[in-house]
Amino acid sequence: MESGKIYLMKFQKRWQLLSYAEAVLYALGFAVLCYFITKNIVISLVTFLIGLLLFILIKKPWQHNLYSTSTYVDAHVSEASFSTGLLLQPEDSLSNLAKLQRYKVSEELTKRLGAITPPNALKQAFLVMLGCIALGFVFHKLHVFNDVDKALNNPKNTEQIQFVATDSLLEKSSIPAIEKQEIRVTYPSYTRLGSKTTTDPNIKAVTGANILWNLQFDNPVIEPVLDVMGELKPLKKVGADYQIQLPLIASGFYSFKFKNENGIEFTSDLFSLEAIPDNPPEIEILGLEQYTYFNFSDKKVVQLQSAITDDYGIDEAYIIATVSKGSGESVKFREEKLSFKETISKGTKSTRATKTLDLNALKMEMGDELYFYIEAFDEKQPKRNVARSETYFAVIKDTVGEQFGVEGTLGVDQMPDYFRSQRQLIIDTEKLIKDKPTISIHEFKSRSNELGFDQKALRLKYGQFMGDESEMEEAPAVIESHEEGEDHDHAEDQENMLKDFMHDHDDDNEHNLVEQHEHENENATEPEDPLHDYLHNHDNPEESTLFEESLKTKLRKALSIMWDAELYLRLYEPEKSLPFQYDALKLIQEIKNSARIYVHRIGFDPPPIKEDSRLTGEIKDIKNYSKNESKEAENPFESIEEAVSRLEQLVQKKGVYKENDTALFTAAGNELAQLAIDNPGKHLQVLQGLKSIENNTGRTLENYRFVQKGLLLALPSTPQVPGSEKVYSDEINSLFLKQLEVYD
Amino acid sequence: MIDGFSFAQKELLIPVILSSLLVFVAYLVKERNTRSSGRFSLNSVVTFVTVLALMCIVLEPTKEVEMQHQQGLLLTNGFAKNQQDSLERVYKGLEILEYNPKKSIRTSLDSLTSVLVIGNGLEEFDFYKLDSIPTAYLPNEVSSGITRLKFTQRLNLGEDLIVEGKYDQPKKSSFLVLQDSRGNGLDSLQFSDASKLDFSLTDVPKVRGDFVYQLVEKDSLGNRVETNPIPITILEKEPVRILILNTFPTFETKYLKNFLADEGYEVTVRSQLTKGKYKFEYFNTKASPIYQFSSETLKQYDAVLVDTETYFNFGKSVKSNFENSIRENGLGLFIQPSELLFNLGANTSYFGFKRDGITEVQLLGNTISLKKYPYNFEQEITVNPININNSGNLAFYKQLGLGRVATTTLLNSYQLLLKGKEQEYAKIWTHILDKIVKQKEEAVDWESQTAFSKEGEPFNFELRTNLEELSVVNNEGNRVPLLQNSTVPFKYSAKTYPKKVGWNTLEVQGDSATQFSYYVYDVDDWKSLIASHKRAANAKQFGNAIKENRAVMVNRPISLLFFYILFLIGIGWLWLSPKFSAQS
Repeated sequence: MESGKIYLMKFQKRWQLLSYAEAVLYALGFAVLCYFITKNIVISLVTFLIGLLLFILIKKPWQHNLYSTSTYVDAHVSEASFSTGLLLQPEDSLSNLAKLQRYKVSEELTKRLGAITPPNALKQAFLVMLGCIALGFVFHKLHVFNDVDKALNNPKNTEQIQFVATDSLLEKSSIPAIEKQEIRVTYPSYTRLGSKTTTDPNIKAVTGANILWNLQFDNPVIEPVLDVMGELKPLKKVGADYQIQLPLIASGFYSFKFKNENGIEFTSDLFSLEAIPDNPPEIEILGLEQYTYFNFSDKKVVQLQSAITDDYGIDEAYIIATVSKGSGESVKFREEKLSFKETISKGTKSTRATKTLDLNALKMEMGDELYFYIEAFDEKQPKRNVARSETYFAVIKDTVGEQFGVEGTLGVDQMPDYFRSQRQLIIDTEKLIKDKPTISIHEFKSRSNELGFDQKALRLKYGQFMGDESEMEEAPAVIESHEEGEDHDHAEDQENMLKDFMHDHDDDNEHNLVEQHEHENENATEPEDPLHDYLHNHDNPEESTLFEESLKTKLRKALSIMWDAELYLRLYEPEKSLPFQYDALKLIQEIKNSARIYVHRIGFDPPPIKEDSRLTGEIKDIKNYSKNESKEAENPFESIEEAVSRLEQLVQKKGVYKENDTALFTAAGNELAQLAIDNPGKHLQVLQGLKSIENNTGRTLENYRFVQKGLLLALPSTPQVPGSEKVYSDEINSLFLKQLEVYD
Repeated sequence: MIDGFSFAQKELLIPVILSSLLVFVAYLVKERNTRSSGRFSLNSVVTFVTVLALMCIVLEPTKEVEMQHQQGLLLTNGFAKNQQDSLERVYKGLEILEYNPKKSIRTSLDSLTSVLVIGNGLEEFDFYKLDSIPTAYLPNEVSSGITRLKFTQRLNLGEDLIVEGKYDQPKKSSFLVLQDSRGNGLDSLQFSDASKLDFSLTDVPKVRGDFVYQLVEKDSLGNRVETNPIPITILEKEPVRILILNTFPTFETKYLKNFLADEGYEVTVRSQLTKGKYKFEYFNTKASPIYQFSSETLKQYDAVLVDTETYFNFGKSVKSNFENSIRENGLGLFIQPSELLFNLGANTSYFGFKRDGITEVQLLGNTISLKKYPYNFEQEITVNPININNSGNLAFYKQLGLGRVATTTLLNSYQLLLKGKEQEYAKIWTHILDKIVKQKEEAVDWESQTAFSKEGEPFNFELRTNLEELSVVNNEGNRVPLLQNSTVPFKYSAKTYPKKVGWNTLEVQGDSATQFSYYVYDVDDWKSLIASHKRAANAKQFGNAIKENRAVMVNRPISLLFFYILFLIGIGWLWLSPKFSAQS
């Protein structure tokens, strides 16, 4: 290669280099300016890099290739006589003249190129850089961008614990600052969160976590203490650091206090300690009705699906199933603890648990009920949180059971049972009509006849109440003979019937029946006579006092209807009998209802007290009674109120800060802290303001205003309390008031 | 001076006369030797006249003349320029005066036969300046803003602060916000249209002390337009001692005594167990059983709560003891009602009742119904309602001398407590007891006579006190002279000039308990309100009818030319006279 081309290439290299240098100068200038503004080396480095990139992109030094270089050389070196381009072409392809020219140019360039410099704006770039630096220096000297500097260089200023002297007069002495501040929150082991190191002194952690503060000061300090809600806890010195460890039990506030070598007390701002409670597990039962009913013939299976979640991990979960058998007094319970189909691994935060409850497997029978709920525990130490789901029910229907309902208003169940058997008769008759096609005529007639007999027995029983003595004697005998032969159940019914007429002392309603007591002894001797209690006059059936006149006619009517009902049953025409039976039932119902009123009428009616004999008894043993009690009027916000009044005075410059105000503001701070525990976000600033008034770092009008505003907001609305007003009473008014009455 | 003559330079009168006399005497002494010539006496006369003329030149004599139609136009704050122009067009030769309360305009007013006042008018304390001049006031048009305002300046803790007023020409959807001294919003309203003029804002202050609440006007965007101070003094009620007498214990009494005892008040309850035997309960007080109700025993208590049966079964003497204590000592008596009370008749039971058949009453905006006796009170002149519900017909008190007797038709108010409405229960009983309890004596009663006192302007106040030889000091520690009322010896009036904006105090020297705070407003506070007050006062004082001109005598200076000529002639004569005598 000939020297001309080499020189040309060197020139091109130089040109590129100069362009790069230009970009570097610009970028450097801006970076320095940036440093002066931000005082942050990282930001200025970044600015430098970005600036460099930007200027390189603008300058595009790589575009200076050999061709542009040759064009430039052609334009600026007359000796090249516009033939530099020849150097770039391969020698072979040139004509002889061109070769000659090429040689000449090459010779010329070798001589000339060293003397010319590539085009550049290096000076300009250098000036810009100098200008930037000068500007930056001016900014620095004039503190124009001090705020930016502060904001950037103290990114931790909200977190860094700052100390202020409680005695502002001596503030000149150096304030020990924190060099290293480390707060380690160790979560309880069951949460599996391990520990976390933070510098933010406002701590928010789960209850039970352990907090370790590790502080290192740049100057020696004396007696550093941690002030948690007024409780002072000294820090321990470990090497160069001070440490304190506390379990997080409840939300609150804390600050640090210490003295420096000169004995000046310093205190930090208030920081919040927020204890987040570990919530009990949450249980959700999916897709299940609270009550599930099964017929006996059904497949009695309950598919239980549940979702259990906890904030830190479930320890254990199971189903408590209770089977109840029987009813009334004979009810029996059996409780079982069932585990889920899936095994619940300890510490899972959320799980789906299922279980198939087979009622047969639980040995449930008709009428039995199953209650079940899920119980889940989390792993909280020392005592686990427990959660229970709602209780769900599964019932196997008992279609046989019939229940007797006592109306709520009925105080006494005095009516004999056979009032209800008219209803039973109707049911049986209807059944008979239904069964008619399927059964033989003989059986049909026989059953119809039996029903007719029952109807007669019923009629006779009611006849007893009417005093139909002639039939009364005969009826029980017939019933008995019949029952013995046929239906044992009926016999029991009859016994029960009698029971109602007998004097049962176990009866709860006993005390309501005044009249029954009068006959107590007679009953004992004549247990057979079921109506004894109700009858006062045996001789005259018409004057039986059992029912009122209107009732008697009703009962008569019912009896005659029963006659008709019986007639059709005996004629094997139950269909025709049915309307009569319904009529009879209706009448009996009415009688029963009016009987309720009857029961109320015989209730206890105390004799009237004679007013003139009142308070005339022997009272010599009765002593005066005296009771003395002192109650403190509790005003949980007394100090806050006082503080607000006092602050108003301070704001209005009616007085200056006095020493005993400190006690007042401390008390107000304690009261506010109680409020703030529930709502730290709302009151923390105010509390800090109060503290700063207290320790003489914020006794400014602005702070007084701020604190007072916060306190006013924190105060609840004023309670209504009676009291007397202070009034000046003057003679003219008094005279006027007295005279007012005279002319009234 | 004599016959309407006077001198402009009155103060120079004596020295000028003396020096003139001196000049004249000097002339006589000097010319003594020319006595022989006959001209001496003539010259002396001429000299006397000349000196007299000289004297007059110096003293500038004036003559009283009657002025006709010399009208003045007094421009006060807020006057309209076009009104001034049109007045000037109508009344030629109007003398324009500008009003400034800090400068005197008296001298310029003297020569005027009548004055027209335009603008918002003069300060009230300057009215006297126009006393002798027929004055007409042409009031300004009503400007936008608050033109009427009423609020309780002194109230007890627990009572409502009610700020009522009238806003003229409000901007649509602008707000009026009542704020406490630190700017927490308490109550607000929005003017939905320009027709809504009257407003009422309420709050229950939380803390006692002197506070400056703010009434803030905000535009529809919530930007503050104007802020005006509402200075209030919040006092605390004094605790009371209460005696409760019952024939038998009731739930009503039980809850009432708990309510009172919980507030730390001294409560004594006596309920009868049987004849002559009682159950005494003492709360926050020492045990001292009460059997006799002498005036002395009753004096210990501020209020007695007694059921109908107990009170009306008292013997005559006991009852008269009670009534005496009520009339003379201001004891409060509350009769717990029963059917008996309503059937007693107005003469015995203090109240007249008529049956209204209503047995239930709705409270708290119909959220709660309470039972009541089916009676209503008959209105009489001394029977006043106690506002425990909105209609205010459930409880009444009767003024009996200095004290009061009250009762209610409300039955079983404790039901409110059972329903969890403690506050409503407390409110009812607070209202009732506040009305009847014995009032505590106050040594001095202060009353401000100036609605809006300003810095450097007079603040008038009155005080009533039985103290002898008192002196009142203001917050600079200076004594304020008091003017005792000649007919009512315990009443004094006085005037002081507050020196600072904000709270100022007055107190009887040596007794800080009597301190009275009053607020001195800033110059810019309540502009529209003060202007409207001023307009009203001016209109009342002057009226807007153009009045007859008064006759004003003005001392017009007599032209001095005559004296100059006289002097010239005299001097000329005296100069010529020796020449003549030398010739002759």
